[in-house]
Amino acid sequence: MSQFLIQTSWWVPGYGLIGALLTLPWSTGLVRRTGPRPAAYFNLLMTVLALVHSGALLQAIWNQPPQRLQISWLQVLDLDLSITLEISVIGVGAAVVITALSLLAQFFALGYLEKDWALGRFYALMGFFEAAMSGIVLSDSLFLSYALLEMLTLSTYLLVGFWYAQPLVVTAARDAFLTKRVGDMLLLMGVIVVFTFAGSLNFSDLATWAESANLAPLTAALLGLALIAGPTGKCAQFPLNLWLDEAMEGPNPASILRNSVVVACGAFVLIKLQPVLAISPIALNALMALGAVTAVGASLVAIAQIDIKRALSHTTSAYLGLVFLAVGMQQTDVALLFLFTHAIAKALLFMSIGSIILTTNTQDLTEMGGLVSRMPATTSSFVVGAIASIGLLPLGSFWSMLEWGSSFWESPWLVAVLLLVNGLTAFNLTRVFGLAFWGQPQVKTRRTPEVPWTMAVPMVSLVIIALLVPVMLLQWHLLPNLASINLPLMLLLMVSSVTGCGLGGLIYLNSGWIKPVDLIVRPIRDTLAYDFWIEKVYRLSVVSGVVQGSKLTAWLDRYVVDGMVNLVGVVSLFTGESLKYTISGQSRNYLLTVFMGVILTLMALVWSFRFPYSIAQSLLGN
Amino acid sequence: MLSTLIWAPVAGAILIAFLPQFANSERARQAALAIAIFTLGWTVFLITQFDISDAALQLQETLPWVEPLGLTYRLGVDGLSLPLVAMNSLLVAVAIYSSDPKINRPRLYYALFLLLGAAVAGAFLAQNLLLFFLFYELELIPLYLLIAIWGGAKRGYAATKFLIYTATSGILILAAFFGLTLLSGMSTFDYAALQSQVLPLGTQVILLVTLLIGFGIKIPLVPLHTWLPDAHVEASTPTSVLLAGMLLKLGTYGLLRFGLGLFPDAWRVLAPWLAAIAVVNVLYGSFVAIAQTDMKKIVAYSSVGHMGFVILASAAATPLGILAAVGQMVSHGLISALLFLLVGVVYSKTGTRDVTVLRGLLNPERGLPLIGSLMIAGVMASGGIPGMVGFVAEFVAYRSSFSVFPVQTLLCVLGTGLTAVYFLNLVNRAFFGRLPESLENLPRVYWRDRIPSVVMTILIIFLGLQPGWLFRWSEVTATTLGALTTRPVAQLTPLAETAAVSFPEVDPIPTPVFENF
Repeated sequence: MSQFLIQTSWWVPGYGLIGALLTLPWSTGLVRRTGPRPAAYFNLLMTVLALVHSGALLQAIWNQPPQRLQISWLQVLDLDLSITLEISVIGVGAAVVITALSLLAQFFALGYLEKDWALGRFYALMGFFEAAMSGIVLSDSLFLSYALLEMLTLSTYLLVGFWYAQPLVVTAARDAFLTKRVGDMLLLMGVIVVFTFAGSLNFSDLATWAESANLAPLTAALLGLALIAGPTGKCAQFPLNLWLDEAMEGPNPASILRNSVVVACGAFVLIKLQPVLAISPIALNALMALGAVTAVGASLVAIAQIDIKRALSHTTSAYLGLVFLAVGMQQTDVALLFLFTHAIAKALLFMSIGSIILTTNTQDLTEMGGLVSRMPATTSSFVVGAIASIGLLPLGSFWSMLEWGSSFWESPWLVAVLLLVNGLTAFNLTRVFGLAFWGQPQVKTRRTPEVPWTMAVPMVSLVIIALLVPVMLLQWHLLPNLASINLPLMLLLMVSSVTGCGLGGLIYLNSGWIKPVDLIVRPIRDTLAYDFWIEKVYRLSVVSGVVQGSKLTAWLDRYVVDGMVNLVGVVSLFTGESLKYTISGQSRNYLLTVFMGVILTLMALVWSFRFPYSIAQSLLGN
Repeated sequence: MLSTLIWAPVAGAILIAFLPQFANSERARQAALAIAIFTLGWTVFLITQFDISDAALQLQETLPWVEPLGLTYRLGVDGLSLPLVAMNSLLVAVAIYSSDPKINRPRLYYALFLLLGAAVAGAFLAQNLLLFFLFYELELIPLYLLIAIWGGAKRGYAATKFLIYTATSGILILAAFFGLTLLSGMSTFDYAALQSQVLPLGTQVILLVTLLIGFGIKIPLVPLHTWLPDAHVEASTPTSVLLAGMLLKLGTYGLLRFGLGLFPDAWRVLAPWLAAIAVVNVLYGSFVAIAQTDMKKIVAYSSVGHMGFVILASAAATPLGILAAVGQMVSHGLISALLFLLVGVVYSKTGTRDVTVLRGLLNPERGLPLIGSLMIAGVMASGGIPGMVGFVAEFVAYRSSFSVFPVQTLLCVLGTGLTAVYFLNLVNRAFFGRLPESLENLPRVYWRDRIPSVVMTILIIFLGLQPGWLFRWSEVTATTLGALTTRPVAQLTPLAETAAVSFPEVDPIPTPVFENF
């Protein structure tokens, strides 16, 4: 049985794809009578199958060493592009998390997109999304991972551009695709280079190769940076972080996945690549620098957002920055644990704000307030999600942060980054809570019933899961035992969380404090609100460079290259037109021309024979 | 067997052109389609007869023709030409299917189309240099007329430009062919015989450069490319499909077959230059494409860019490189054909191709949703998204050329990124957004408008998922062709002392940048 499950493990990503294909009759409009609902049900069914399959697989391989499954894909000449899957507890476990969250998000979408005419298309994209993600976590080949990352890029583009008739969505989808594409392109360069050097793209082979690789430092550094670029784009790290907050224009169920597991997939590839990155200390340092800058920067930026989704999406970037730091310090287990707890907590937060957005029809925090009594389930899931995502006992992130901090206990500045990010996030989440749930109801939040069961059921289920995360960690022996616990760090974490929450509560739960809060001078606030002006910087540098360059090239093409061609044409036409006037029709003129021609030819001949001859004579002195 | 591919369409063309029954355009279309589908079926039959493990020319046919001139009617097919011949048959059928059913002068139109297909097939099959030249020139006439008669507003200008350019290309190729036979003292133009030529390297280089310019016009290489955008913009959709899909491939095919096949040593000398030209093509084509607003021009310049990948892989000239070049030719042929078909539908329904005017065409009720979705698929395929044929062809090309030309390869990867920029711009401008009032009440899109694009998309995805089917035909041929450039030079030129020209230094793999890369 277990062998059968392992042999068929490649079906896990397949289910999502089949679900996506099954929606085609509805999304192309072939079937209209039933409405798009059946497409959604098919996809839900397929995701259930994927979840059951991956769950059974996890059961079967529990406590077993990883196994590899090789599927030959393209073998020509000396090129062997095989697809290798690694059936390990971590990979399959991640697949379970992904399919479970995907199932919940799709369930949630039944309610969230109830009235949307393009439900079929949405579910097709979700199936695609799920397939690509579960493929990435099972993949043991950089080639496959790269291909799937690109498919994620494509499906992100299509999901963000789901409501393509809105102008903001158009630019958001474009930016999401192009920023991720920049990362992917650099990653592709890295893939080609490493393929040539190592001769294989299997992660295990790469790891073996990396141990004995003998590269020039510059080559190794460039290779490492190129390989980092792809995950940087996927995980929305500086400087490719532009897309994630714009991507919040897309439908919320997709945002649930994007903020929890899609970003994690990028990090997953990074973790797999870690042995190769380890060749170059420069690359690891760059990775850590990127992570640290993003972690602190994005935490600050998040506080200045008034869009409820953006306020949370920036914290995703910040947390992934911490993951980058962990990978940079070669602590991949910590990174994986961190990704897991973050995924659950962030998915829960996004479900909760999805309910708010659907009920209030707004994403603007300044238009909200007083939801706490009206939407109890949503409120409680937000609170649980918030506690689960900061370092506050007893929920998930506390333990992963503890783990994170104790591995880096020797380097105080890293611990400082962790505490700062944690404190700022605690502040931000309290701020969001205060603005959305606390205070007096405003126009848009006055009539806000709790969401229908299609959304409430997945949300409450996820609350239960989030509450159970510590128990799961205990079961998996991932919690530190009491003797070895790092008490000072524990204390520091608690202090930073409580300080963040306390400060946030003091300002935002306090009806006496006038909103909008005017604590910080305007320029700084604007800088943070506009994400350190990074979009502007891009527009002035890369975008304008490409646009001006292309205009210049097009001008050259039109007027210089093609101009020359046309000039030749015009000249020959003009010559013909002018020469026709020499045709006088009088024979004496023709005869004159002929004679002149003959005489000139003869002179030329004589001269050309005589002249070299005389030169030769003078040269030879004869 | 092979002759059928040439003479069945020719016979069909004569029938359609001279029988009065075909004055009815619908009937002419059906007849032409029947012939094209017959040819396609015949091609499939030939594929089943083809032995992929045999490197030699297969299914050969030889008839003496003008022996004093060295002109023999000799046809043959190998792994290099088979995929292209198959694609030619397919695209001719697709182009005829997607022709306007109410076209003016249908008899001439369909006759010319069949003739064009026949000539292109002939050029791919010819194993005699003069015969190749004849077909290569023959294909000009129908194409010129197709652009000049059924083209857009500036069709006269575009068609003349095309004709002059390509005729020049033909003359240069002929000159090179003559030079080769005269200098090597052969009395025949047979490809196989000429492969054993032992010209001094300097002469080879000169002849190869002539060929390079000749075929370079056709490919087109920057700066010889300016006929292409004009021709595409003015040509009707089916003509564009064939022009981008097949005619450009004649150039790269010719380079591989006659440039690399006949002058492998000179190829080694010129390869770095060729790789540099490839980079220029990719970057230049992509940059110019970004600034365009006419959809057809965008696709046309993207062709310029994507043919650069073929050049890059051919320059590497390793077995894998040649395989990649063939794969990339097929992939570009399919993808650009799809894109031109879709642009054609958009143009025929909205009356414009200007991306600054078009908006919101994905609109599900009043827009062109399926066409838009296919366009996204095509654009992504062109941009190298995995799962479609463009990705795997490009990946193999990069993989093969990186070990020979690392920096050039990485620069070409940059071109892949730029492809995403201009095509995303196209999709975002024309298909996303709100459908403006000026574009309401678009004519209905029928399934007959969609079927060609759907077929192409399915092919693109199929070959992307099963790339073995793309590459398996050419593996053995690529090995033999690739082995040419790696054989030692000394053994090749025993007549070195008779050569007046001093040998330029032969340095097959220039890797100065490689160490500190």
